[in-house]
Amino acid sequence: RGPIMLFHLFNFMTCVSLSFSWASSEFDLAQIRLIVCQECERRGRQVLFDSKAIHKLDASEPNPIVTNSSEKEKPPTYQYTRPASDVNMLGEMMFGSVSMSYKGSTLKIHHIRSPPQLMVSKVFSTRFGSSTSGSTNMYESCFLSSAICSHSNPVDMPSRGHSEDGDSGIARSASLSSLLATPLPSPGSSFSSGCASSYQRRWLRSQATSLQHGPMPRWNTEEMFSLSDESCSSNPAMIRRKKIAISIIISLPEREEENHNFQEFFFSHFPLFESHMNKLKTAIERAMIVCRRIAESSQRVQVYLCRVMEALGEFRMTVWNLYMAPLISEPVWLSMISQSTERNLLCQRFLKEMSLLMDHGAKSQFLSALLTAVLTHHLAWVPTVMPSSLPPIKTACQKPASQTVDLLAKSHPYNPLWAQLGDLYGALGSPVRVCRTVVVGCRRELVQRVLYILSYFIRCSDLQEHVQPQGQMENPDNPTNPCSSQTTDPTPEKTFPPKPDPLKPTACVIEKALNPESVPGTSVEQNNDTLLTDTKSTNPSSSLESSTVRLECAEMGQECFGEDSDSVGGGLEHILANQSPLLHRVQFHIGSPRETENEGQAGDLSGAGCGRGLDRKLHQRLLTDIRRNESTDSALGDSDDEETSLQELYMATEQKEYELPLPSYHVESRASVNHFGRSLLGGYCPQYMPDFALHGISSDLRLKQCLMSDLEHTVLHPALDEPVAEALCIVADTDRLSVQVVTSQRRVCEGGRLGRDVMVSNLVHTLITSALQLYALNIASDFCVMHLEDRLQELYFKSRSLAEYLRGQTRVHVKELGLALGIESSDIPLLAAVASTHSPFVAQILL
Amino acid sequence: MNALVALCHFCELHGPRTLFCTEAVHPPSPSPPQPGSAIPGDRDREADREGEGLTMRANSSATQRADMCEGCRSLPASHPGFVSVDSETGIRYLSHQHPRQPQLFSVVRQACVRSLSCEVCPGREGPIFFGDEQHGFVFSHTFFIKDSLARGFQRWYSIVVVAMDRIYLINSWPFLLRHLRQTIQSLQDTALKVFDNEQCVCPQRAVRMNSAFSPAVFPHQRSGNAARSLTSLTQHSNLWASLHSSFSWLLKACGSRLTEKLLEGAPTEDTLVLIERQTEQEEEMSGWDCAEGGGSNPQPSQSESVQPKDFQFDDGRQEDLLGPKFKSLRHLRQVLGANDFRQLAWHVLMGNQVIWRGADPGLIQSAFNVLKALLPVGCVRAVSYSPHYEEAYRCNFLGLSPDVPIPAHVSSSEFSMLVDVLNVERGCVNPVSDDDILSLYQFNISSANTQPTDKGPTLLNKIEVALSNENLSVEVVSLCLLCLKEEWMNKVKVLFKFSKVDGRGKEDTQKVLACA
Repeated sequence: RGPIMLFHLFNFMTCVSLSFSWASSEFDLAQIRLIVCQECERRGRQVLFDSKAIHKLDASEPNPIVTNSSEKEKPPTYQYTRPASDVNMLGEMMFGSVSMSYKGSTLKIHHIRSPPQLMVSKVFSTRFGSSTSGSTNMYESCFLSSAICSHSNPVDMPSRGHSEDGDSGIARSASLSSLLATPLPSPGSSFSSGCASSYQRRWLRSQATSLQHGPMPRWNTEEMFSLSDESCSSNPAMIRRKKIAISIIISLPEREEENHNFQEFFFSHFPLFESHMNKLKTAIERAMIVCRRIAESSQRVQVYLCRVMEALGEFRMTVWNLYMAPLISEPVWLSMISQSTERNLLCQRFLKEMSLLMDHGAKSQFLSALLTAVLTHHLAWVPTVMPSSLPPIKTACQKPASQTVDLLAKSHPYNPLWAQLGDLYGALGSPVRVCRTVVVGCRRELVQRVLYILSYFIRCSDLQEHVQPQGQMENPDNPTNPCSSQTTDPTPEKTFPPKPDPLKPTACVIEKALNPESVPGTSVEQNNDTLLTDTKSTNPSSSLESSTVRLECAEMGQECFGEDSDSVGGGLEHILANQSPLLHRVQFHIGSPRETENEGQAGDLSGAGCGRGLDRKLHQRLLTDIRRNESTDSALGDSDDEETSLQELYMATEQKEYELPLPSYHVESRASVNHFGRSLLGGYCPQYMPDFALHGISSDLRLKQCLMSDLEHTVLHPALDEPVAEALCIVADTDRLSVQVVTSQRRVCEGGRLGRDVMVSNLVHTLITSALQLYALNIASDFCVMHLEDRLQELYFKSRSLAEYLRGQTRVHVKELGLALGIESSDIPLLAAVASTHSPFVAQILL
Repeated sequence: MNALVALCHFCELHGPRTLFCTEAVHPPSPSPPQPGSAIPGDRDREADREGEGLTMRANSSATQRADMCEGCRSLPASHPGFVSVDSETGIRYLSHQHPRQPQLFSVVRQACVRSLSCEVCPGREGPIFFGDEQHGFVFSHTFFIKDSLARGFQRWYSIVVVAMDRIYLINSWPFLLRHLRQTIQSLQDTALKVFDNEQCVCPQRAVRMNSAFSPAVFPHQRSGNAARSLTSLTQHSNLWASLHSSFSWLLKACGSRLTEKLLEGAPTEDTLVLIERQTEQEEEMSGWDCAEGGGSNPQPSQSESVQPKDFQFDDGRQEDLLGPKFKSLRHLRQVLGANDFRQLAWHVLMGNQVIWRGADPGLIQSAFNVLKALLPVGCVRAVSYSPHYEEAYRCNFLGLSPDVPIPAHVSSSEFSMLVDVLNVERGCVNPVSDDDILSLYQFNISSANTQPTDKGPTLLNKIEVALSNENLSVEVVSLCLLCLKEEWMNKVKVLFKFSKVDGRGKEDTQKVLACA
């Protein structure tokens, strides 16, 4: 038995525990510094906290401040020293040299060259309760001089949720998730491709972040810094123009390569960093509110410092964990779709590990319960089994790559990293839920086995990076180098065909066109003049064509959209109208009365004036069904003459652009390293981590402490940058062989337990059993994996029957489903969750 | 990338100005959202204006043309701008002094003012990210350009990249920094050469030292000096065209910097069969072109030419034929009665030849169309209406005219069944509704089969449950059928792999069947 065990162990070591982590060297916690600053109109800037200026006092030293020695666990005591010399400069960077009147939160990132540091700041407007307004001076005073501040205002009912009234999770999810819920067509009806839901999600994202719709405050615009538990709504007059900035300053590694690696990691994982900054902000708010209740000043300082330091410690630890934690070196799904050569080997390993685990937890149906939970909540597997209309590629799991999504990404770019994050957290259903899975157990190899198996079922897309090769960056003909012809002698033979060389024909002629003096005899100058005065009678292209400049008509109306319009304005308008219903925001966008005056006088030819004319037309023609805004009408000015003249000017100036070829560029494609599929599938970690989509830990002690608040935080500040209705965590305990689901929505569970036990889905159980039986009968392992995929596809088909059955119904009994569709009650949660990815209405009927 | 790039300048006379702006105009959305979907966040005008801030507003009035000097301008007012088209995606990159899309004008203006007169960058040259939900998000890189005539011998510029996708813009920081540095370096190097040349010709420092300072002359001088354009500072006559190319390239490259590999599920067996058939057909078509007068021409009118688009029901042809029709399996079941339907379906599922004989080809074809749904596409070979008998290896659905005799080996075979469609003699000549097939026809079912058809297979039992439940709509039934078919196809795949490919014994096969 010994050798066999050893063999297993060896095998296991090779495939599982060779975990890797990002950093090549230690990441020092003190490299992360926190500064809290405030700025107000009357007194300028004050530092409210600077971790660099705070020192922990040794517990053995006599402590004059904390006198209450009867307490068993003394909180650490801190001492404040002189603020660091760079604080003034940093404060200037946080707030900027000119105060902005914008009320929402502002995000800033600075790069400081020496010593190399990154600074991330969030600047908030403050919010006071009516009774405690104007009392922030106590923070700087208690921080800066520990002077006695007599102000104290005990507030009896501290309620966290209350202070967040403006941006409660409910209000938010009601807005965008309803949007996400409505426009999904049922797959098959309007999409031939199976990736309907993936496609839809990405398309909506590209629209929601589109520049063409102008700024669109989405959901956290009113985020403020609360200085009181109370809502300020009772007395709006008390709002002061005071801002608080929270800055995290990260010292960058000295070594060039490490520095580069950390920066790549930091910027690609920014949503996670930001989410933790928000958590830190909440803790600082709390610290300020709590310490205000303490009358004794020195104690108040200690409480304040203690709390903020504790929160900073947590932030540092989380960042450290994120960067340093062991990761699954070879997540099964991502490896399978990226490496075609080792596919067979991978399948074999995967099935072997799965059958070992199946045997291990057979009695309690541990694996079936775990996979039921994972398949129900980490829903990204669904699009990977939705049948395609394309023939499969042999190398990629016998699955075709989505062409529609590929095309979308090119024409309507969205952030692939965002899509991946949503995949991993399973945020594909409706309403949007995010889920993580934590595997707890003291037997390391068992936990790692579970993690390895789950890395097949918790799926996401694979990312490729396309960058210029190192050598080409220095190439003077690189498209990013606008002065190439000036700096070097253009050599006739180039390996790359990059930017248009001014010496080549097109550009040459343009030069002539732009400088008519240099080419005697061309009529360009005159032509321009004519254009200004009379658009209709002139045909600019004919005269320009004579000098071989290829003029491209810029009227999208004609070219792009096949619409024959007589003016550019009409064309543009048409585009705007065609884009999407998002359009109607445009009407509120431009033209405050004052601007109208200014531009009217100036007769400005620029976009604003034209925009206003256009805006008005849009308003009149297209927006009749949209909520009218009276002030919009009046703001647009009432002189029709003015409008028409602006319109004419617009048409006169906006002619046809010179077309230049788009520079081609040579890129190297490689597998992306800094992506969530690599960074959020954790290994057996020393500590519980709130970010990972999957990871293992030895003890659930810390998990129990943090989980509920982490889930609540996720709902309030989702790293996904999209409203989330519910946050979940699957906790699989390999010691007790239990699987529980913890949710942000249910606070209290029977018997003081974290969550609810998972009901094993019969479909999932037979699915695993079937695949493993085939494996046991020595059928080729890649066939067994394909069979597993086929069975997962069956789940998808069943979910479609279910969705179709529920369409148009209001209430359905579980029993009825059993009779009509042969769906067992144990399968309903799973099938309903799957159905919600393609048929959002299911949520309203069943969930 | 869903962003725009702009070059901004802090003019000594006029403050922060947008000089040149490249924006990406995307083609119309490939999938318009459904009506009724509203985007939240209808903007509040009041909040919008408030966000501008005092400085902003004072400056925004300064875009007046009279207030412009050479240094504040890139293209002359009459210049039409530049365009580059990405033919693959249809994205057009447009460059003008100001953004063409009116909703972006104030966004760029904000970004410009903030980057050059609000945000503080240590050393004044370098990258900053800033922004908020209301004004958009900005990656800005400030830099100096040498100018022998400027105060301090340099002018201050910035390149801003503006986007609404905060996260993607931050994700792209290293990429943008790398490439913008390149662009900036190139501008600075070029300007430095010009500066050095000018200093050689006429050292400005000496001029300034020697000229007597007079308050009356000073402002005038300054304003004259402020008018130098970036084109003149770099002596690059095509500067704007080149910058357009650089910025367009940057937008494209940054947008396609990361791509996803997203897999879909394997196509269903039906889809695979249809793809295969289509390929075969295409090959055949090209074959016909070459081979002249090939012997036996297939009869396309009889053999089902199935197109991938509508393989389930080829309604097109059915519509051509008048008269009553079967609309669905459920309808067929209602007309035949549960018992006869069960027999019929049993034979279809078993792969036996099902022959319908009658005078109405439209009715028979409609029966085949609904029955086909019971089988995988690959198992359907139908000859919908023929003047003579066709062998079972040629078709499992066969329609015959009433007078065609059935060969004895067929009528005595347990692997075939016959449905005779007989006209019902009726006195009434009222036009009958299509629903009322029974008032027109009578169906006689006969087969030499002796096996019981009321026990199995399980598949048929499940189908019958779905069909008999009137609560299920036709759509639900067809999805249920799809589920059942896929389920059984998966079993078949396993069985095939097991028995044919690996050649195992019966005992193991039983095990496999139990688990599949």
